[in-house]
Amino acid sequence: MMPLIMADPGEENIVRRVGGSPEMKKHLEDLGFTAGSNVTVMNTIGGNLIVKVRESRIAISKEMAAKIMV
Amino acid sequence: MEKQLRIALAGNPNSGKTTLFNKLTGSNQFVGNWPGVTVEKKEGRLIVDKNVILTDLPGIYSLSPYTLEEVVARNYLIEEKPDAILNIVDATNLERNLYLTTQLTELGIPVVIALNMMDLVRKAGDSINVKELSRQLGCRIVEISALKGDGVQDAARAAIEAAKNGKTIPQHSFSGPVEHALAHIEEVTVHNLPEEQQRWYAIKIFERDEKVLKQLNVPEDVRAHIEQDIQAAEKELDDDAESIITNERYVYISQMLKGIYKKKGKGELSISDKIDRIVTNRVLALPIFVVVMFLVYALSMGKSIADGGISIGTFLTDWTNDVIGGAVLTDGSRALLESWGVAPWLVGLISDGILAGVGAVLGFVPQMLVLFLMLCLLEDCGYMARIAFIMDRIFRRFGLSGKSFIPMLVGTGCGIPGVMASRTIENERDRRMTIMTTTFMPCGAKMPIVGLIAGALFGGSTWVATSAYFIGIAAIVISGIMLKKTKMFAGDPAPFVMELPPYHVPAWGNVLRGTWERGWSFIKRAGTVIVVSSIVIWFLTSFGSVNGKFGMVDELYEDKSLVTDEYVTTVADRMHIPEDEVEPMDDSLLARIAQPVSIVFKPLGFGDWKPTAATVTGLVAKEEVVANFGIMYAYDDKDGEEELEENGNQIWNRVAEDFNTISGGHGRLAAYAFMIFNLLCAPCFAAIGAIKREMNSAKWTWFAIGYQCCFAWVIAFIVWQLGRAFAGAVNAVGLVFALAALALLLWQLFKPYKEAQRLTVQ
Repeated sequence: MMPLIMADPGEENIVRRVGGSPEMKKHLEDLGFTAGSNVTVMNTIGGNLIVKVRESRIAISKEMAAKIMV
Repeated sequence: MEKQLRIALAGNPNSGKTTLFNKLTGSNQFVGNWPGVTVEKKEGRLIVDKNVILTDLPGIYSLSPYTLEEVVARNYLIEEKPDAILNIVDATNLERNLYLTTQLTELGIPVVIALNMMDLVRKAGDSINVKELSRQLGCRIVEISALKGDGVQDAARAAIEAAKNGKTIPQHSFSGPVEHALAHIEEVTVHNLPEEQQRWYAIKIFERDEKVLKQLNVPEDVRAHIEQDIQAAEKELDDDAESIITNERYVYISQMLKGIYKKKGKGELSISDKIDRIVTNRVLALPIFVVVMFLVYALSMGKSIADGGISIGTFLTDWTNDVIGGAVLTDGSRALLESWGVAPWLVGLISDGILAGVGAVLGFVPQMLVLFLMLCLLEDCGYMARIAFIMDRIFRRFGLSGKSFIPMLVGTGCGIPGVMASRTIENERDRRMTIMTTTFMPCGAKMPIVGLIAGALFGGSTWVATSAYFIGIAAIVISGIMLKKTKMFAGDPAPFVMELPPYHVPAWGNVLRGTWERGWSFIKRAGTVIVVSSIVIWFLTSFGSVNGKFGMVDELYEDKSLVTDEYVTTVADRMHIPEDEVEPMDDSLLARIAQPVSIVFKPLGFGDWKPTAATVTGLVAKEEVVANFGIMYAYDDKDGEEELEENGNQIWNRVAEDFNTISGGHGRLAAYAFMIFNLLCAPCFAAIGAIKREMNSAKWTWFAIGYQCCFAWVIAFIVWQLGRAFAGAVNAVGLVFALAALALLLWQLFKPYKEAQRLTVQ
């Protein structure tokens, strides 16, 4: 397991666990970041990420990405 | 009469919901607010059946109460119980969209799915077995293309039919332990609720949804009993209740789609991804952003095409100001009213008071419309979400979110739509901070103040205008850093999570409609406040008491029995001016009010009634500051405003002279302090009104206004006192206080800040 910020761009990973505050966790899961879903880092800019999860592109900040384990 | 049916339109953000709503209701729309919150509520009558009202719910991902939008949407669905839900689903992003659908089907309200963008799915070579999907979900599906308008009216008809005699029973179930707990919950808590709503409530109780538990008033002992079941399920499935439900929904959906959704291509980059490679590239993102912003600004508010620039907005605004504002509204109405034999005071009220004030705001409308058009274009094509993402990194350092950028950009045109644009920020703390700081940006109406000061005292130097923008930006940055260290704004901005919609060619219908909606609400907001406050200011400048007699000062001064030599001497003494400069306005209510207030500005170097009165009237509209200077310094000229624009030098000299007199020879410095204060202090009444609406709280509105005024005062104070000390005219007391204020400011800026405090959402 590693945090999503360490994942290589373009490589598909599987979400293991989502951390953060309960509200944030719920919001991320609503957006599709559930354990077992595929996630691909599309782009990084200053540590912030654009990731592909299911068919959506989601922009997340560094702090948040550090709490998504893949 | 037939019963009026109500249908709710629900769906994910970026699913084409707005387009569909516009196609279904045409021009039959009413825009308002959801009760108690500043989330926009749109309703309209269906084109296919005028008896049916369609309510556009905010775009949501889920019915969990994470954002204000989600709370609003779910309250409406639960409490108002519409007759049917038309759920728009983006076929290109099926799993995430159906996640909301599974929740909607639990509400006990008939659901019809409008499956949007099937054309794109087919184009990609994929296929969806719609019939099977419909069967598995237990609700009717109509394929549509919201953009092209294909099938949309069929979807509406299907929704009407469902509203009349449809029923949707949720087809999905959860795993054994969850269903076991749900059965228990239904038995002990929700059995007396309407049968069709029981399942939804039971699931929410299982998720320990605070709002539902409070609403149902579940007794403590029952809660404790249920808690055992929930914990048992949590232990068995090794996750928390909320996550279990979310997970199982997604698992159910992907299982279901296995046989239904046939995907051909895989792993290829879409066009949108390729664009993002460039636009959000770590090297190119900022330069591209700067170019785009420069274009937006240059086209809407930059140099007019008449002066060799590229701005259509400025060109139209100049034209509106010169032709409609000046010639038609003010002069034309005056001539017309006088020809009708209307009493002079009424002519003054209507032409100089109301119409001149309205005209001043009207002048901004073209610039604003061009700006809104650009912003709508950026939003519709998908770039706006990227801007927020790119700027977030930078804004986060001073306690704001990337989403604060747009309000500030709009704020350089006009603070009212700027403040209104803050509503896209979900997090309350971030939104409040944005509202408080947005009006620091010099808006279009503040630029004439800058122009006056630059022209009168700095020989028209352009650095004054440039410095105005730097002052605005610096005020935002400093305020952001200082405020985030206060208890009220403790903690970091909410972590940035935002969906980036795929890029697409803008839908012109949406763009034009969006532009018009924003423009119209700007006109309405500004118009109503301006009319009222123009009347008040007109009254204050026209009326007063002369030698004990109250009336219009201009008329009273013609009565030589009132205006005796002795009386003129007392007025001159009171206003600290030579006797031959006494004029009717010195006896106006405004002068009487401004004179004592001017003490407040003594420490800032411009403590005289004229700059004070100008500052106070600036609350009506910032243009009034300059207009008032025109009136106050052009005594011999009846038409002060005209004079200022056409032969500015004459007044500039007087303004410069006056600032020099007031400040004891440091006119430039005093004028600069005056400019700083006027740039940063409370915005005009119309913008204050917008702040009040968006803050939705009297306390916060007062806090924002108070903060802005204090901040403006302190900065102007420091500049004046330190500047004067450098010029060699030290005021010991003033300097000590100025240094103390500066030290406090720096302390608040650089003091370490405890990261430990976490933001709690109330």
